[in-house]
Amino acid sequence: MSTPLLEMSGVRKRYGGVQALDGAELTAVRGEVHALLGPNGSGKSTLDKTLAGTVVPDAGTIRIDGAEARIGGPRDAHALGVAAVYQQLSIVGDLTVTQNVVLGLEPARRFGFLDQRAARDRAGAALERFTAAFAGRLPLDRPASALGPGERQIVEVAKALARRPRILVLDEATASLHKEQVDVLFDVVRELRADGVLVLFTSHRLDEVFALCDRATVLRNGRTAGTVELAATDEDELVRLMVGDAPHQAPRAARAGAAGAGSAAEGPVSSPAATLEVRGLTTDRLRDVSFTVRSGEVLGLGGLQGQGQSELLLALFGGAHVGAGEAVLDGRPLPLSSPVKAARAGVALVPGDRGRQGMFAVRPIQENLSLASMHRRATARLALRGAAERGAATAMVERLRIKIGSLADPVSTLSGGNQQKVVIGKWLLDRPRVVLLDDPTKGVDVAAKEEIYAIVRGLADDGAVVILNSSDNRELTELSDRVLVVFEGTVVEELDAEAISERRLISSALRLGPGETL
Amino acid sequence: MTGAAAGLVDRVRGVQLSGLATVAMLVVAVAVNSALQPNFWDSYALTSNFATFVPLVAIAVGQTIVVLSGGLDLSLGAQVTLASVVAVQVVDGSLDRFPLAVAAALGVGLACGALNGLVVALLRLQPIVATFATSFVFSGLALVVLPTPGGSVPFEITTAYRDSVLGVPVALLLIVALALVWLVLRRHRVLRHVYAVGGDADAAYASLVPVARTRVWAYVLGGLFAALSALAILANTGSGDPFVGNELTLASVAAVVIGGTALAGGRGGAGGSVLGAIVLALVTNIIFFADVPTDYRQLVNGAVIILALALAGIPALQKRRPSA
Ligand SMILES: Nc1ncnc2c1ncn2[C@@H]1O[C@H](COP(=O)(O)OP(=O)(O)O)[C@@H](O)[C@H]1O
Ligand SMILES: [Mg+2]
Repeated sequence: MSTPLLEMSGVRKRYGGVQALDGAELTAVRGEVHALLGPNGSGKSTLDKTLAGTVVPDAGTIRIDGAEARIGGPRDAHALGVAAVYQQLSIVGDLTVTQNVVLGLEPARRFGFLDQRAARDRAGAALERFTAAFAGRLPLDRPASALGPGERQIVEVAKALARRPRILVLDEATASLHKEQVDVLFDVVRELRADGVLVLFTSHRLDEVFALCDRATVLRNGRTAGTVELAATDEDELVRLMVGDAPHQAPRAARAGAAGAGSAAEGPVSSPAATLEVRGLTTDRLRDVSFTVRSGEVLGLGGLQGQGQSELLLALFGGAHVGAGEAVLDGRPLPLSSPVKAARAGVALVPGDRGRQGMFAVRPIQENLSLASMHRRATARLALRGAAERGAATAMVERLRIKIGSLADPVSTLSGGNQQKVVIGKWLLDRPRVVLLDDPTKGVDVAAKEEIYAIVRGLADDGAVVILNSSDNRELTELSDRVLVVFEGTVVEELDAEAISERRLISSALRLGPGETL
Repeated sequence: MTGAAAGLVDRVRGVQLSGLATVAMLVVAVAVNSALQPNFWDSYALTSNFATFVPLVAIAVGQTIVVLSGGLDLSLGAQVTLASVVAVQVVDGSLDRFPLAVAAALGVGLACGALNGLVVALLRLQPIVATFATSFVFSGLALVVLPTPGGSVPFEITTAYRDSVLGVPVALLLIVALALVWLVLRRHRVLRHVYAVGGDADAAYASLVPVARTRVWAYVLGGLFAALSALAILANTGSGDPFVGNELTLASVAAVVIGGTALAGGRGGAGGSVLGAIVLALVTNIIFFADVPTDYRQLVNGAVIILALALAGIPALQKRRPSA
């Protein structure tokens, strides 16, 4: 225990306007299972990636065995004995399971020709202990894209194990595993620990952390909040480290109430009072989701990331295959079969991944703004007048305070926050009655965030039904009147205005073991 | 799990459908062709048909490798031209210098491919733009090397090319040989990495695949197959032509798509492209034998390629619909 196996210090990484890591530290020794914890977006995955070489930090030093490690890419990390299971798996769907497990390190004969038998043997050995997860038969020759999420996760784990690492990074590696598979993985991890391997373990299930790990380092906003011995720590202490002593922020509803009878009491300004009632909504990823939202209300969706919140919004926007259930807006059923029909019925979805779903980056700002609502201004539904299009777009730019050079500039010239405002603005021109926001401020800088918050509040005050999914708990506290905590595709808890706080959100999300809900 | 199972079924169906579609097009093309060309099955006609197929088959195999890697090479036709004019200048009618000419052609393909690969992988330019630009460099060089059609290939080569061995046309043997080369390459680590990079470059990078080097290799292999295509053209025509490769680029992309390789990369293989190339060559034949006026041939040819691309694209479109 003289020199620690791994020392990371002063690690910084910036993505556009977001400081993902802001001087993070981590020290761990060989033969240790070290938990890396923190709320959503605190930088855990980014720190893991700087160690595994897929992200090159802006600053910071990494020492392995006391010697400074220069990690410029995954191959450097591999040479130093680091292997990683990524949260966003590194599986190539078109390759078979065997090909994935040996990818990058394929056993070869002379001149680089593949030794397929050795590859199968190696993959078989790496997967052997997980055989039960594949109904008893390893799918070595099946394409990875044909596997279920849990099976892919296991292939990713096996791939990292096959690299025989000295330092093994497990980033949410248990997220889609069943209990029995988690147990197998934990056995493997304990054996590795006995062999002197360092395992960095990130999981959102605190019971797993306490069951498996020796120490924990907690990140908050890209900084290390502390490292604790888990034997001498309880859940409250961990949650306190994650949340910090942030000033308590009163939720929106409480503030509105304090300000007296606000606009909500006077009734909505622009659209008739609406109520959205969702009953028994079930899809591939959702189970029996029911709730009601009033017009003028902001309903938050909380919980751990990826528990079905985005799917819920997508389903309400007609973008998922709905197996059962319905959504009723003001007594009329909402069409859930296609986004076009949903948009006609007054539903708008502001996607989180604005680059992929929400905009046409190289097209002018004006076109992007006009697109969703053109049909309203079209003469005889066919011809568009340039002046009307520009007028509508200009009004929206002013209302949202989007900082632009000219309406004719491509959207890609804007900063992240302003791009997101264009995506929101595009739907506002269509005067939606239901606004679905999917992590609207992800990757947006602080100032732009505040402005987007003001827009969201404005929407609700104008009488829209607003449903907000956010991976940022502070955002949920600041904007929501109520929060539904989502876990594994179903609503497990409802927090009303008084109950909403960052601490409560984190503990509600974390405390639920899978056994309690299934 | 039911979702995954359904996904698998969809997937298998998609793959088979595109394989079936390729074979169906081949059957139709052969049927129409033999109806229009009375002596289609005569050994002379067969030999000369196969002789015209080889260049397109070779370039289609090269394009397949580039497409599988997630790229596209719009300069392959120009590379064929450049390699062929360099080779014809080197050989200059002498059989002794033929090995040298083969080496020169391969050297040209290698150099052109390496240039494309470096531009795409290191400068990170869009493959379409980068290779479109380099195609002008290669065509320009070809005009410098051989300003007007000319040069001659030793008659032993042109004769052997149109000969047959035990009743099998040499050109057909060459096509089989190209397919075999492909099968050998498939067992090589570089091709595995080509599939991985084309399938998911980020995942491949995280999995220790040397992504940039793999991309360069894909273009280099593309260039080498373009060089083989150039040699086949020389053996078939007997002389050099500084515009000979122009129409091969689009045809190579069309052959790849007809053969069922996804333009997005990572899925497919050169086996289908070989069939696709033969289909396209037969279509050119059909247009010739259907007495389409000369002025309209290119138009019809282009229309047929677009039609084939559209037909081949239907399964891909169905696959893109959200299955969940
Ligand atoms: N590739 C990226 N581009 C832009 N922003 C990113 C990227 N990756 C992460 N971020 C941002 O960096 C922050 C930290 O992310 P991450 O490390 O994934 O957190 P965690 O794993 O703790 O949830 C988040 O605000 C996230 O939005
Ligand atoms: Mg993460």
